[in-house]
Amino acid sequence: MIAEEPRVDASRVTELAQSLETELARLIVGQKALLRDTVIALTAGGHVLLEGVPGLGKTVLVRSLGQALSMSFARIQFTPDLMPADIVGTNIIGEDDGRREFHYQAGPIFANLVLADEINRATPKTQSALLEAMQERTVTVGTQTRPLPSPFFVLATQNPIELEGTYPLPEAQLDRFFFKILVPFPPEGDLLEIARRTTGESTPQLRSVADAGAILAAQRTAREVPIAEHVLRYAARLVSATHPDRTELDSVRRYVRWGASPRGLQTLVLGGKVRALLEGRYNVAFDDLNAIAQPALRHRIFLQFEAEADGITADRIISEILEHTAKEPADH
Amino acid sequence: MTSLEAILTELRRAARRALGARYAAHALVGAVAWVAAVLTLARLVPFERRLEVAALGIPVALAIAAAIWAIRRPSAGLLMAVADIRLGLKERLSTAWERRAESGPLDDAQRRDALQQAAHARLPAAFPIRVSRGEATLVAILAIFALALALLPNPMDQVLAQRQADRVSQARAAKAVVDAKKKIADSEKPSPKDAQIQKILQDAQAKIREADSPRKALESITPAEQQVQKLTDPGTPALQSSAQNLANALSGTSAGRSAAQAISSSPAKGAQSVRDLASQLQSLSPKDREELARALAKASQQAQNSQMRDSLSKASSSLQNGDAASAAQALDDVASQLDSLQEQESTDQAVAAAINGLEAARQELAAQADRDANGQGGQANAGASPSAGASGSGTGNGNGNGNGTSNGNGNGNGNGNGNGNGNGNGTGGTGSNGSGTGSGTGATSTERVYVPGQPVPGQSENDPTPLGPGQDVPLSPYTQVIEAYQQAAVDATDQSLIPGSERDLVREYFSQLGEQRATR
Repeated sequence: MIAEEPRVDASRVTELAQSLETELARLIVGQKALLRDTVIALTAGGHVLLEGVPGLGKTVLVRSLGQALSMSFARIQFTPDLMPADIVGTNIIGEDDGRREFHYQAGPIFANLVLADEINRATPKTQSALLEAMQERTVTVGTQTRPLPSPFFVLATQNPIELEGTYPLPEAQLDRFFFKILVPFPPEGDLLEIARRTTGESTPQLRSVADAGAILAAQRTAREVPIAEHVLRYAARLVSATHPDRTELDSVRRYVRWGASPRGLQTLVLGGKVRALLEGRYNVAFDDLNAIAQPALRHRIFLQFEAEADGITADRIISEILEHTAKEPADH
Repeated sequence: MTSLEAILTELRRAARRALGARYAAHALVGAVAWVAAVLTLARLVPFERRLEVAALGIPVALAIAAAIWAIRRPSAGLLMAVADIRLGLKERLSTAWERRAESGPLDDAQRRDALQQAAHARLPAAFPIRVSRGEATLVAILAIFALALALLPNPMDQVLAQRQADRVSQARAAKAVVDAKKKIADSEKPSPKDAQIQKILQDAQAKIREADSPRKALESITPAEQQVQKLTDPGTPALQSSAQNLANALSGTSAGRSAAQAISSSPAKGAQSVRDLASQLQSLSPKDREELARALAKASQQAQNSQMRDSLSKASSSLQNGDAASAAQALDDVASQLDSLQEQESTDQAVAAAINGLEAARQELAAQADRDANGQGGQANAGASPSAGASGSGTGNGNGNGNGTSNGNGNGNGNGNGNGNGNGNGTGGTGSNGSGTGSGTGATSTERVYVPGQPVPGQSENDPTPLGPGQDVPLSPYTQVIEAYQQAAVDATDQSLIPGSERDLVREYFSQLGEQRATR
């Protein structure tokens, strides 16, 4: 006999997300979009690639998230000499009752929250070890496969400058990130506030607002949010429009090499559902899709060299797609 | 708001109103565009009843819009989706409606949320009744354009007026032919060829009515006249002359005086009287017989008709020989020839009536064709009578003449006498024996022939009559005097006892002049 599922309380998800945002905002100055998108990805069960110059608080954000969520947190600093075993763990010889035998020494990836700092500095082999774990949520060492803790949330960072000696993530591996969030340089007002908060005698300490169970429940609830057929079609049109052979936009045909994968559509819909809950709504709206379209699609659109030459970014292409994709039913 | 159905009902009502307004605006655009298009077209091609056709577009456009409005029913999902977008409901209504039958974990909450949000929204605002600025501008522009087209003079109006005048003229011409037919049918002395004449007139009438223009209609008149002319007997003048000579000869005899009077009265009476004379030959005195024989011999010598001459000669010789029976037989032959003459004269009268009718039609059509050629075709009216030569005389009688045509088809020219009103505006009447045969060549010469004369009525005093080369007398264009000349000549021939062939010669002469005038 199957036990009846407990009734979903969507309002609790909303409260959780809002309290998490509030708590993070105590330490992270400004960056509301960054916080919102991070919470959305966390609630949707996806991983995030943060891109920004050093010193913008990327690591602070992940650490703060760990504090606010009462979940295990691990940080891996990616370097060229980092090996896969340094991430997923390895079998080592140990003594037990006078007998020597191999014991599995778990790597830092066995945590709820993992910060993969400067992921593009590790070799592709090492990157693959992490990205495989992100996708499968299991780690195989030797002959044994071990599940990662749940929830499992990876925040990877990369620096858009100082690209020498780095290994850019291949397209297929980028696609495994739920969101790619750009961390902008804070405005002057936020800079002042950062200075005030971090150069004083003490820094704010975050309180825990949720645990792993709450996050998992929120992830399940988010998937129950309904989406209307025409909204779903809109999401599909957005994704289709990123493909040069399926769009009517000249800029896409000219500058885009490959469009977003079906995983991009999944991200749009799932992210839209979470955002709807965060907005206190129980259905996905066009606005939800539009709001997350940039972080959901920017790393899934691959541009031609001509785009780089003309200074065209994926964000600009997405903005144009959003602007030209019809929301209103066509026959009215 | 109680339920999604109630929301849908309200949205549907608002949408119907908005759609109605929108379709009405579309219909207005279509109707005004139709009117403008029709009025534009009417400026390019002659278009009768253009206002009716233009006006017809308005109800048609409205009816089409109403039909589409009545047929078109936006789906519930569509209404909800549009309301979501326009009222900022964030797809709540459309999601709730789409999942109204679902019972997922969040569906109830979603429906409650949708109803709650809808309760605070003004649903009809999702489908406002509004007029598109573009459509309003378009209607205004088209309306002004159409109004301008309707008010400004249309060059095609003249063409249409000309067509109308042409039709009226052709109807009048056809009526003239019908009048001629009626006159022939009502004749007291029917001719054996009346049926043929009626048939010819009937055909001519039909062709006149069906012709595309007066000019085309004119082309059917000359052949009809020629056909009618063929029905006349060329020997009639000779027989008439012989009969008149007989009457003259008999008038000097005591026995034949009454017969002479009867012959002069009419050939039919003359025939009866000659038969009576034949039956009385036995009872005549020798002296009377002698006198009668001489008169018959004289008439025989003067007779141009051979049969008449033979019969008279035989009657005369028989009387001189005392053979009264043979003489009576010969006089009976003379009487038969007088009967034949009577029939030929009846035929001639019918032919004359037919030709008069055709000539009246010709004048009517020629006048209209001239007006058409001069660009005044649309000015024809009920007074479109042949008035070019109308001049009031002291007795109030005027003569009117029509104009020939310049179509180069050899049209004749008829004449008519009418009663004027003393102001020179006489209306052409029906000529007594007017006829015309066409032989014109349709030349387009611009030569004008002048004859000495006085300024004609209607000619301005400030416009001195031009003098011909080397002449010191005022000259008038012959076209302005030829009618009077022609009428005088025709009257003279009609009133004179001259052979019919001579009369025809006169008529033919003037007809040819008329043809030349028409071609100019």
